[in-house]
Amino acid sequence: MSSSAPESTGSGATRTTRPASRSRLARLPKSHLVALLALGVLVLYPVVQPGDAYYQAVLFTTFLLGVQAVSWNIISGYAGYVSLGHSAFLGVGSYTAAVIALHTGVNPLWVAPIGGVVAVVLAILIGLVVLRTSGHAFVIITIALLLSTQIVATNWRSLTNGSDGITLELPFWDRDIQNVPFYLVMLGLFALTVVFSALIRRTKLGTGLVAIREDEGKAAAIGVNTTRYKVTAYAASAFFIGIAGGVYAYFLTFLNPVGSFSILGSVTIVLSALAGGRGTLYGPVVGAFIVGIGSEMATVYGGSSSRVLIFGLVLVLIVLFLPDGLLPTFAKAYRRLRPASTEYTDQAGALGAGTMQVRDRALVTSVVADRVEAAAAAAGTPLLEVRGASKAFGGLVAVDGADLTVRQGTITALIGPNGSGKTTLFNLVTGAMGADSGEVWFDGTRIDRMKPWERGHLGLARTFQTTRLFKSMTVLENLVAPLPDARWSTMLRASVAGHEADRARELLAFVGMERFAGQPAGALSYGQQKLVELAQVLMLEPRLVLLDEPAGGVNPSLVGRMVEIVRDLNSQGVTFLVVEHNIPMVLELCDPVVVFSRGKAIAEGPPQTIREDPVVLDAYLGDEWRPPAAEQAAASTAGTSDKPQEVR
Amino acid sequence: MTELLQAVILGLLIGGVYALMASGLTLVFGVMNIINVAQGAFLIFVAMVTWWLWKHTGIDPILASVITTPMMFGVGWVLYRTVIVRIRGASPSMSVLLTFGLALTIEGILNITAGNKFKSATPSYFEESYRVGSIALPKAQIYGFLAAIVVLAALYVVLTRTWMGRAIRASSQNPSGAALVGVGATSTAALAFALGASTSGVGGSILSVLYPFFPASHYDWISRLLGIIVLGGMGSLPGALVGALVLGLAETLTATYGSLRWATLVFYIVILAVLLFRPQGLFGTRLREDVTA
Repeated sequence: MSSSAPESTGSGATRTTRPASRSRLARLPKSHLVALLALGVLVLYPVVQPGDAYYQAVLFTTFLLGVQAVSWNIISGYAGYVSLGHSAFLGVGSYTAAVIALHTGVNPLWVAPIGGVVAVVLAILIGLVVLRTSGHAFVIITIALLLSTQIVATNWRSLTNGSDGITLELPFWDRDIQNVPFYLVMLGLFALTVVFSALIRRTKLGTGLVAIREDEGKAAAIGVNTTRYKVTAYAASAFFIGIAGGVYAYFLTFLNPVGSFSILGSVTIVLSALAGGRGTLYGPVVGAFIVGIGSEMATVYGGSSSRVLIFGLVLVLIVLFLPDGLLPTFAKAYRRLRPASTEYTDQAGALGAGTMQVRDRALVTSVVADRVEAAAAAAGTPLLEVRGASKAFGGLVAVDGADLTVRQGTITALIGPNGSGKTTLFNLVTGAMGADSGEVWFDGTRIDRMKPWERGHLGLARTFQTTRLFKSMTVLENLVAPLPDARWSTMLRASVAGHEADRARELLAFVGMERFAGQPAGALSYGQQKLVELAQVLMLEPRLVLLDEPAGGVNPSLVGRMVEIVRDLNSQGVTFLVVEHNIPMVLELCDPVVVFSRGKAIAEGPPQTIREDPVVLDAYLGDEWRPPAAEQAAASTAGTSDKPQEVR
Repeated sequence: MTELLQAVILGLLIGGVYALMASGLTLVFGVMNIINVAQGAFLIFVAMVTWWLWKHTGIDPILASVITTPMMFGVGWVLYRTVIVRIRGASPSMSVLLTFGLALTIEGILNITAGNKFKSATPSYFEESYRVGSIALPKAQIYGFLAAIVVLAALYVVLTRTWMGRAIRASSQNPSGAALVGVGATSTAALAFALGASTSGVGGSILSVLYPFFPASHYDWISRLLGIIVLGGMGSLPGALVGALVLGLAETLTATYGSLRWATLVFYIVILAVLLFRPQGLFGTRLREDVTA
């Protein structure tokens, strides 16, 4: 899911740079002002011209499309999980209101919100089954959902009248203004949906959804409960559509299965969001107006028979030539015309000032003080224990009954030749992979059956060999994406403003990257990305950090900075397990050192002992230094140590 | 008892045809990670062509696959080379949207050229059956099943015994490694896509006899086929086979002991039940998410 996310570089970061003296309204981003203005005009229009029934009907269907496109964008734009059957929720909402009206005589408008609730329940049930894994089952099930709901509506005759459909009573208000109430209600729903989407985007939930789109495995590693996030997003994307369904049914006063669960409806939703800009707040809004009005014009001037062909061709052309959508493309062109000056290569920020004064105060909050005390008290007791863990990829045993203990308060090194299973062991510990056998214990809790994010919430964090930042998000957003605990309230906390952002800035300052907060993470140098990734996992308030080659591919001055930071954190109670090939750095920084070879630990001890251990030299240097007699014996087994982590 | 046996045999016959139709879909997914939502539209397009050939030349609809299969191979190759290749490297969701657009385009063209009416090819054996004891074996089903099995076997031989098949499999497992030994990723992907499309040549011809169809029928078909590969495990050929047989059986058993109207729904419920316990599908494997990838 690596599509671009122009919105993610947006409002939060820019707003903070504006002068605070201006009024609240003037401080709103221009896009919000334009939207408010448009809303005002649209509210006034039917008041001024109440008799324009036709234009009001066209705009009504456009608002309806807008509600659906903005909602769709929550799961398919922010989180990147495309739904091709989203009009199912419109049908479910319509039928809920209509069936209640049919069987109880209540006006469908009053029970329309129940349609929203039913849609949400349905989305949660489906989501809990198909959104537990990353992958493509979701899009397929969404198509199946649309057809299934249609089958139920057609065949459950006693409830729905089957294919005869349901006829509702006519609106109770004056026929002269027949469309005005519908128009205003739908416009209100549309506005609410946009506000709802904007609110979601501003919370940690929203940041997490974008993180899932960018790199789902990484998101799970920083405490994001990906299943809960995705199911929540899917449910959120169903709610307003479900309500709109009831209103729409009443507007039509007639509904049947084929019309209510239409695939063409889903197509227009997808087209709108895609044309305007998937993943942005206002893209689907703009797209809904283009597609809604364009589709009406195509029907008037071209006849409805060619609609499918036109939709199909437009969809193909957009995917091929305008994959980001209109708004992001315009924004990009605008930025190209007026480039802002940015510093990409300068490393002064990463190396220089700021570090000392930050170190004095940065992490020593009361929480950390407690932790330092606790860690000191527990120093030397095992924090992480791996017992007999094994993992094979086909015939290649990457980790072979490995035992490993990391004691509280240490900086433990894990070294070994390429392919000895170090990174695979990391994956078993953090839950990126399940072990074939063996146990993993963390501070007295058995964690090998837990999800990656649950381990993150316990205080287990890792960085990656090749950094895995969310490249289209800003550095600051990368920092606020991690979720330190499983509480819903944390997930719904504001992300790019307030407490979270303050803490993120504090940590960025701590690693010396504060001035890059507004930059896209992908624009940073490799070494800078390593520092940002470390700061990112520190947001989890980890007790144990697994560093996978922190110095790999990093220039020497940044390596020095990295060593300082690790020491500093260690003195504040954070335990480290470091995989590293830079042996001088390991010997300087770490104690004890564990040596891995062929999937298990072969030696452990203080650095100076390890340096002279013949077993270690043997594992590292292999045939190179052996007498010729031993060479033959070694050759017969050499094949098995070939980098297992390259094998899929 | 006879009723049950009849339902099971019919289910397996239909399942064989479904397996052929789904094989192309799962092949394309396995090799290039593309969900070809247009596969259903391919089927309906072929069914239209078959129907037209049968109507105007009298050629047997199932035999017409001798013409439609190479035709679809060509169509698939050209589509890949001109359209699909442009989104290589884009996120997988873009391929879904692109092929969805292609499906609509094909539907739209068929709407305009062939009209929005149900069609069905009805050769002389259309309503005849072989009888084995008290079991009726409709001739059309038997012929369709046999054609499907022959093509599935041929597909298996192509994938395992020919250079092309080895190239496709190598490319699906490790594209850069395959490129190093002279298997170009783009040309292999084009071949695989063409091969996947060509299965709809036979599938569509069989469909034209067994089921009435009209341009918008492709939604029905693609959702069945996608259901099959989700159930079986995406990208797995044996999975597609098993998924297809499950769908065939679910349909005939539901039709026999309940009502045909609920058949598709029963199949979807089976899928959800399976996904509840095996999120990756019956034969699916969870690929290692490589840290260095």
